[in-house]
Amino acid sequence: MINLIKMNLYRMMNATSTKVLAIVSALFGLMQFGILKLIADDPFNIMGSMASEMGFDSVTASTLVSNFLRSSNFLIIVAVFVVLFANAEQKCGFDKNIIGITKHRWLHPLSRFIAAVIGVTALMAITGIIGIGCSALFVNAFTFGSATAFVKTLGLTYLGTVALAGVFFFFTTAFRSAAGGVVPSLVICTGILYMIEQLLDLLVKKVAGSPKLLPTDLFLDAKFLNFNMDSGMTACLILAAVCVGYLVFSVGGSMLLTQKRDVK
Amino acid sequence: MEEYILETNGISKKYGSVMALDHVDLRLQRGEIYGLIGRNGAGKTTLLKILAGLARPTEGSFTIFGESPEKSKTLRDRIGILLETPGLYPNMNAWENMKLKELTLGMNDSAYVRELLEDVGLSIKDKRPVKKYSMGMKQRLGIAMSLVGHPDLLLLDEPINGIDPQGIVEIRDLIGRLSKERNISVIISSHILEEMSKLANRYGILDHGHMIDTFSHQELLRRCRERIELRTSDPVKACMVIEKMGITEFKIMDGSLIQIYERLDGSGDIVLELAKNNIKTLGIEVKNEALEDYYLSLTSERNTGKNQGAK
Repeated sequence: MINLIKMNLYRMMNATSTKVLAIVSALFGLMQFGILKLIADDPFNIMGSMASEMGFDSVTASTLVSNFLRSSNFLIIVAVFVVLFANAEQKCGFDKNIIGITKHRWLHPLSRFIAAVIGVTALMAITGIIGIGCSALFVNAFTFGSATAFVKTLGLTYLGTVALAGVFFFFTTAFRSAAGGVVPSLVICTGILYMIEQLLDLLVKKVAGSPKLLPTDLFLDAKFLNFNMDSGMTACLILAAVCVGYLVFSVGGSMLLTQKRDVK
Repeated sequence: MEEYILETNGISKKYGSVMALDHVDLRLQRGEIYGLIGRNGAGKTTLLKILAGLARPTEGSFTIFGESPEKSKTLRDRIGILLETPGLYPNMNAWENMKLKELTLGMNDSAYVRELLEDVGLSIKDKRPVKKYSMGMKQRLGIAMSLVGHPDLLLLDEPINGIDPQGIVEIRDLIGRLSKERNISVIISSHILEEMSKLANRYGILDHGHMIDTFSHQELLRRCRERIELRTSDPVKACMVIEKMGITEFKIMDGSLIQIYERLDGSGDIVLELAKNNIKTLGIEVKNEALEDYYLSLTSERNTGKNQGAK
């Protein structure tokens, strides 16, 4: 297992796509910072009183984590990275060299996912450090805010991103192609799935009145992207539980599929 | 009792309604080079995939190193695999690709990797990404990669595809040397039957998923030995004439063909004797059959039989 993780990390470090996505993440962090600077500090006086109306009187570390890392745009970077990384071994046929010689086939998706999570963490760190770091240094309205809120937001954002990475990973493993992984992943990231979920909500409400549980309560993307980080502990725990559930099912599903299926 | 490093027992594989392998039996002794022969779609790759642990048989069982596939999982790192096109990361160079396999096996021996690359005629100094390699170079790298981890069993599917003649000789020598020096057993499939006959010491012919014949190299030499091939208008009568001439080693192959294995320099006498008995000679030649001819005659016989059966 450790050997497989080492191998996956080695190929990640040497892959062109990783380097490109690291640069994209850095640029994304800078872009987010630039937009924030324009809105919050309004150096060119183009926003007038809108900045305060938009809630940019004070910018805290937790709101930045929530805005920068818990966004659809950043999830697209994560999705592209995970899909490319998960599919590379099969695309080039390298898996044929190694799957047969390892004790259990399921170790391969598991180790690959662990390596992908390390990659996702690095991308989050790049965007976060550049975006939040520059904002802390150069945005006048910035204050660190509550440490507890920061830890809670960062923790849930990280858990949700990793869970969604697991879902993207599962699609790529199940469809055995980059296209098969990217298309459903982008449907999630761009909010198309959320629109469908809302329609389902309406349908359920129409049929069942006002049920306690709606489809959007069960879908990870809806829960994660629309979660209010100021919510209480119970809501946070529910989100964490949904994330862990999706993570277990998607990674477990990938392991099961790899174990059961023949290598092409 | 002979020690088999690999033994299959009625292995079958079905893809939907297509029977890719049908009750295939194969035995491989330690240090043996087994040539797997068959046209495209005969089931060679499917069989190798099953043995490599990449696919599961629909029916049948097999043992590797004397253990069942489940128990042999711990021994699987003793198998080197090269299936179809070599699985290489195109943006990485040869060294980095080798490093990946090394890391998977928990090894860290740069000198060994260098030695393997040199063995297959690749340079460690070549830093070009693999995507810029020729087909032959990729194939060489695939072979080198299959050798990482000091395997006892090599499964090579068309390893000399795309390699130039000089390279083919080098690869053949390398495989032969590995088998002799390290007692490595090899199963090798190839379309280049002439090369196969120079390398393998046992053969198996696969046709439409069936193992239709297995034989040793000595047997091949015996089967492909020099002979007179005679075509006449009346083969039954011709056989009687040949017998009268004192020739005993001959056989009728099909409607008009007789193979004679003695008096190879006496074809003139045979034609003369046949003419005296009013038997027309349609053709006569001294032939030395190669593995390729043997394979073609075997599969065409089988397919003719099948077609007749269908009619």
